[in-house]
Amino acid sequence: MKGLLVGVAAAALVATVCPAQAPKCDLVAGWTQQGSARAYEASNLFEYMDGNAEGYLLYGFVAMHGVTCVHGGDSILIDVSEFADADSAYGMFSANRDARLPAEALGAGSQVTPRRVIFTKGTFYAEMAASPDKDHTPALRAFSAALEKLMPGSTAVPAALAWFPADGQKSARLIPESVLGLRLLKRGYVAEYEFGKAFVVQESSADEAAAVMDKLRARFGQTGDPLQLTDRYLGRLCFIRKGPYIVGYANVAEGHDPAALASVLAARLPQ
Amino acid sequence: MPDSSRRNFLLTGLAVPAAASAARSSADDQKQAAPPRAAIASPQLRYRVLGETGLRVTSVGFGCMVTSDGSVIERAADIGITYFDTARGYQGGNNERMVGAALKGKRQNITLSSKTHSATKEAALADLDTSLRELGTDHLDIWYLHAKEKPADVTGELIDAQQTAKKAGKIRFAGVSTHKGQAELIPALIANPHIDVILTAYNFSMGQTLDPVIAAAHAAGKGVVAMKVMAGGLRLAKPGNKLYDTFKKDGALLSALRWVLKSSDIDTTIPSITDMDQLEENLKAMTGGFTRSDETLLARHLERIAPLYCRMCGQCDGACAKGLPVADILRCLTYADGYGQFSLGRERFLELPAEVAQVRCDSCSTCTVDCPHGVRVSERLARAQELFA
Repeated sequence: MKGLLVGVAAAALVATVCPAQAPKCDLVAGWTQQGSARAYEASNLFEYMDGNAEGYLLYGFVAMHGVTCVHGGDSILIDVSEFADADSAYGMFSANRDARLPAEALGAGSQVTPRRVIFTKGTFYAEMAASPDKDHTPALRAFSAALEKLMPGSTAVPAALAWFPADGQKSARLIPESVLGLRLLKRGYVAEYEFGKAFVVQESSADEAAAVMDKLRARFGQTGDPLQLTDRYLGRLCFIRKGPYIVGYANVAEGHDPAALASVLAARLPQ
Repeated sequence: MPDSSRRNFLLTGLAVPAAASAARSSADDQKQAAPPRAAIASPQLRYRVLGETGLRVTSVGFGCMVTSDGSVIERAADIGITYFDTARGYQGGNNERMVGAALKGKRQNITLSSKTHSATKEAALADLDTSLRELGTDHLDIWYLHAKEKPADVTGELIDAQQTAKKAGKIRFAGVSTHKGQAELIPALIANPHIDVILTAYNFSMGQTLDPVIAAAHAAGKGVVAMKVMAGGLRLAKPGNKLYDTFKKDGALLSALRWVLKSSDIDTTIPSITDMDQLEENLKAMTGGFTRSDETLLARHLERIAPLYCRMCGQCDGACAKGLPVADILRCLTYADGYGQFSLGRERFLELPAEVAQVRCDSCSTCTVDCPHGVRVSERLARAQELFA
């Protein structure tokens, strides 16, 4: 029994010190670790990446584990960040991917370029960067595939992404604060189209959403539901409330009807 | 690549197509001109000259890193804000793209800066070309070497990259940004004739510790730009966060900005601006000076922050007679009290060795830990024990 307890304690210690998602260089044969492993939390992330830490904290960053691997003259820096929830991890990924480049089928989302890989799975967001300047794609793919297998969590993309019509969509991402630059719209998804941008904000209840709609009417000095207006910066826009959701379109180009677009989007949301 | 080289991590950007963003640029867009007349006439705006660069900028600029929507940047430019700052590494390059799109057609009226984390000349210049493409311009007004901490970080190779870019007309002025180590780094930058602008963290929580080097930089003709002006104690605080809301409620965020602006050695500031509301709040800082009520407010908040928030400086390591890892325990408490993540704080506390978790500070008659930053250690440890143990 004592041996069992020691074993359990040791396993717990390993889980704490070296969680499964912490990257390791021996994930790919021939690579070895350079220096010690890195571990950061929200309170000290700036020590590692001052100047860019806020971009992580904005998405509810919890912790990061990292390691630098070397092979011959090549090196790959791997960092795996954990976020408060899977939507936030995906949000971090979507904020950092280049929507103009193709996606890769790995985890819930991935992008691979000759020197860089980013992907997300569950509550984790992984980044890899290789040097020197050449095509490191085979090694990056090998590391990312091995690491992805170790990561717990779902490979499903956030459900909200399916609400946005796919036709003509250029990008879709989570905005962690102030959707459309409006503090009233705390957090939500925005999808960009050639003709404008669609948004979905979920409040905690229908009453909360109704209250936010009232504040939007007051802010823009308009009445009505749907709330439709033209703003100097947000262009032709329309807000519709559906249950706890506030949805709509902004910066809608001439020839498109913001209210009609918003109605279609609202119809795609759950009841 | 050095073990912890986040700098190099960021230089390995995605290879991006150039056509879309480069097409935005027009010859007229590239000219640096005086701020628009209407903006100058506005009583809300105040201008300062950025050292010997001669660049005339609003005393409150715009840090674009966490801006949620390009419309906020566009509006700020229309209002008359003239200095906008971004970096190659922000959001994998997406931030520069957003800034470029938002400032399309306004380039001639603004001062635009970006930064590179790269460690070599070749990589830095490649970063610059990408920045120009994404921002839709043919030059930056200021190009910073990003987040340097010590003189050795500002290598001859990087200075050479800036000089090469200057000669090619891709940048007008060379800068260095720094978040820490300023007491040693800034004097070295002052002595470097190739550096025109210094972007430094500077806020009320630092007291007057940086004032001498900042004054010396200003006196030497360097442009001095302040960032992190809302104080390190607010690093994690965002709308909805208890600390942030407390600050905002009584106007301390505005006071913090005014505290920075009261220094004539600071030429401009780049507070991170997320949304329209924050933009409007920050504009107020340009009207009216730092008052006694601002001072009182900040003193009260500093007093509130200092006893509560451990800076993890490590100076108390080994000081507890009972062997408590003080910083680790206070970090657990910060999760709960500062960020509202009680479960995370408790989880981390319970990961501590059992003999540590069992200690109760109220069993000691006196505390052997004396925090140099004023954290009330025994009180905070006792609270952690009460909350988590």
